[in-house]
Amino acid sequence: MIENFNPQSIHRPANVAELGDLIRRASAEGLALYPFGGGTMQHLGYTPTKPGFGVDMRAFDQVIDYPARDMTITVQAGITIAKLQEVLAKENQRLPIDVPQPEIATLGGAIAVNASGPRRYGYGTLRDYVIGISFMNDEGQEVKAGGRVVKNVAGYDICKLQIGALGTLGIITQVTLKVKPKPEAMGTLWLDNFGPKELTELLDGLHRTQTRPVAVDAVTSRSTRPEPKLAADRFSMCVLFEDSTEAVRWQVSQWKSESKYQWQNLNMSFAARYLAAFTNPLTMGLGFHANMAPSSCSDFLQATVAFSLPPHLVCNAGNGIVYGIWNDELPLPNAANMLTSLRQFTVQNHGNLVITRCPAEWKRELPIWGEPRGDWALMKKVKQAIDPKNLFNPGKFLVG
Amino acid sequence: MTFPMPLLDRLCSFLGPDAVLSAPSDMLVYECDGFTIEKNRPDIVVFPTSTEQVVGIVKLCIEFNVPFLPRGAGTSLAGGCLPVGGGVMIALSRMKRILEVNIRDRYAVVEPGVVNLWLTNHLKPYGYHYAPDPSSQGACTIGGNVATNSGGPHTLKYGVTVNHVLGVEIVLPDGEVVQTGGPAEDNPGYDLTGVIVGSEGTFGIVTKIWCRITRNPQAYRTLLGIFENVDDASNAISDIIGAGIVPAALEMLDRLILSAVEKRYHFGFPLDAGAVLIMEVDGLEAGLEREAEKITQIAKKNHAREVRRANTEADRALLWKCRKQAFGAVAQLGYPSYCTQDGVVPRSKLPHMMRFIQQVSEKYKIAIANVFHAGDGNLHPITLFDERNPEEVQRVLAAGNEILEECIRQGGSVTGEHGIGVEKIDFMPKLFTQEDLAMMARLRQAFNPEGHCSPEKMLPTAGACAEPSRFQAAKPGRRAAV
Repeated sequence: MIENFNPQSIHRPANVAELGDLIRRASAEGLALYPFGGGTMQHLGYTPTKPGFGVDMRAFDQVIDYPARDMTITVQAGITIAKLQEVLAKENQRLPIDVPQPEIATLGGAIAVNASGPRRYGYGTLRDYVIGISFMNDEGQEVKAGGRVVKNVAGYDICKLQIGALGTLGIITQVTLKVKPKPEAMGTLWLDNFGPKELTELLDGLHRTQTRPVAVDAVTSRSTRPEPKLAADRFSMCVLFEDSTEAVRWQVSQWKSESKYQWQNLNMSFAARYLAAFTNPLTMGLGFHANMAPSSCSDFLQATVAFSLPPHLVCNAGNGIVYGIWNDELPLPNAANMLTSLRQFTVQNHGNLVITRCPAEWKRELPIWGEPRGDWALMKKVKQAIDPKNLFNPGKFLVG
Repeated sequence: MTFPMPLLDRLCSFLGPDAVLSAPSDMLVYECDGFTIEKNRPDIVVFPTSTEQVVGIVKLCIEFNVPFLPRGAGTSLAGGCLPVGGGVMIALSRMKRILEVNIRDRYAVVEPGVVNLWLTNHLKPYGYHYAPDPSSQGACTIGGNVATNSGGPHTLKYGVTVNHVLGVEIVLPDGEVVQTGGPAEDNPGYDLTGVIVGSEGTFGIVTKIWCRITRNPQAYRTLLGIFENVDDASNAISDIIGAGIVPAALEMLDRLILSAVEKRYHFGFPLDAGAVLIMEVDGLEAGLEREAEKITQIAKKNHAREVRRANTEADRALLWKCRKQAFGAVAQLGYPSYCTQDGVVPRSKLPHMMRFIQQVSEKYKIAIANVFHAGDGNLHPITLFDERNPEEVQRVLAAGNEILEECIRQGGSVTGEHGIGVEKIDFMPKLFTQEDLAMMARLRQAFNPEGHCSPEKMLPTAGACAEPSRFQAAKPGRRAAV
């Protein structure tokens, strides 16, 4: 189920009572709990070793409350992102987070890995939308933090702690989200096949522009087409505007006049253009997620494509996030050297580099979660305080 | 347990005598914050100017087993700065430098004593601002904003403090210095920054903050809707949101507050209006006029008598001044004291809550004025009274409690932005179960296991109204008990 590791058995609790019983049973028997939804990110983290139960959360898929006029929704954590967006779309609303593989990814899973995509530039990430959360603790009790209202500072903001926690602080059962109205209009501009020199200039221009793009992505051009084969250091860029009809029209024409390059209107979703290739697990052999100060992205991309075995890259340039994948097999020493060099760069630029996917045997050799930082010790204390028996996803995350 | 005098000497020699206050008359200034109903004096107030000094202070407090807590400008409206158990108050007002501004990467680094408005003013020449703008921003500090996860009138569109803090440097209660987050987003691991924001000083002393800075919008439209009654104004709000518009701000002032504000600032508010709504949209100029028109239509559909526009920058500034300095204008109403409540309900429950507050006012014979963030359901009923009259104070507390109980009943919260502090500790068990609170207590254990830092804040002690903690017992304050 998770690389070479298989839990004792897979359980699919129908409700909180059953889930509570399962947790108490695991705790009594000294077993671990491995929650999952769509299973799209099971490859993330170290391979677990402690025997335990796989917990399929997809029976928790109900909409609990949707007061659309309040712009909030409360749902169970096992609902798929696509189903959630479908419910919201009926009221002309949406959760503006680009979660990969939305048809199978669940909200709980998206929260556990802090899933995001290009729209984070304009709309932020899950921490800006989760206002209430319920989760099972190590005694099989359902506890909550936050609430159902958009302004709430009562108690500690455990919602934030759960986001990106890889399920190590309990099993998420229910979530309350702030949502946004769907934009009236969208406009996508695309610039194809340019070189490294232009990259820096374009990214700086998009920082200073009078327009307000909600996504600014740079990708390696050869990643966007099967043929013809392009050189590794050719880039394409995608800029997305979402706003009122007038504002989108104005921004499209304004950016075209600010930029001296020939931008084309893109009528298809940019996800179709390049994102799908980056989220298909079947094609990925080695992958990373790098974060850094946005101004250093351009140098990072240029250094990366200069390797003799360069990866495919997608960069959310306004946020300093870079996803890299190699579809071909690489020798471990080459991979290790490249990743080390890239990680050093990110650390020098206030960030880090997580190896999101690699052959299982390599996980013992590589720092999967990146360069340890000064606050990791405090994270371990938090984990020990909340899950002292290490019931939840032991061994996968940087907290041990 | 009396206060250990050697600690005073050690602090004076460590920080210099100019950075230490201990005379009883000096302590008076620090005996309460904006929540004036509860008072307790610290034993010592210290004024560090660096992280290293904060570390030294914390270590000394541990050595002498004395509680300590941070204080910014003391504008807390929930007793967040109340020094329960006395001890050492660490005033951050001298750590007031803006350390770095990075426009390209859109962040600034500030010390905790930097006044909120100073940062925005500093960013003006670059066309940026710091988005969380509580009404007290001319006085409150960013460190304090971090402690309470402050809001303000623009949170509906822009979010609250935690959405604009990328990282902090914190001195933990054992004296260790840790940086969480920083200029780059998405560092692997737990979002410790996210949970430190809003922890009300119970996790340690924040000594540095990485703030996200926001580009100024290209244009604004600021409208003032004048309504005969609060119901119509509340329904207009609901319809605006229902139309898919997310205003930058949606603020309501009722008749009582209007009379105070008008007397003080002479804006031209009509004194016979039941309520006014400040409705602001911002963004790109293209399309903004149509949005403003839509809002005007909705207001009129809800029987607005008139919808005015702030046509110049000066008009807009004056309108916002009236709103943001409304609390200060309350003195015009002739009461010696006031107490600001802070409750939240789902937006759709606003009309009900406003009627409920009116009933509470009549029941307890306490005047209540309302000015608040209507767009996100965050109410600020302001009770007006004379604190020298203990019987009146009891009625004020009872009225406030009833309003908060109703907020809970309507699916809301007992604090939208001011925090739990000491004021609302008794409400925590009404909002959260014992298991929920036990989880929060576990989290606090990870940061503050010995309990020296900000004791008796936010979480009820085990046994609720039973024995006070060892710190409280050593130095009980004057509590206005209901």
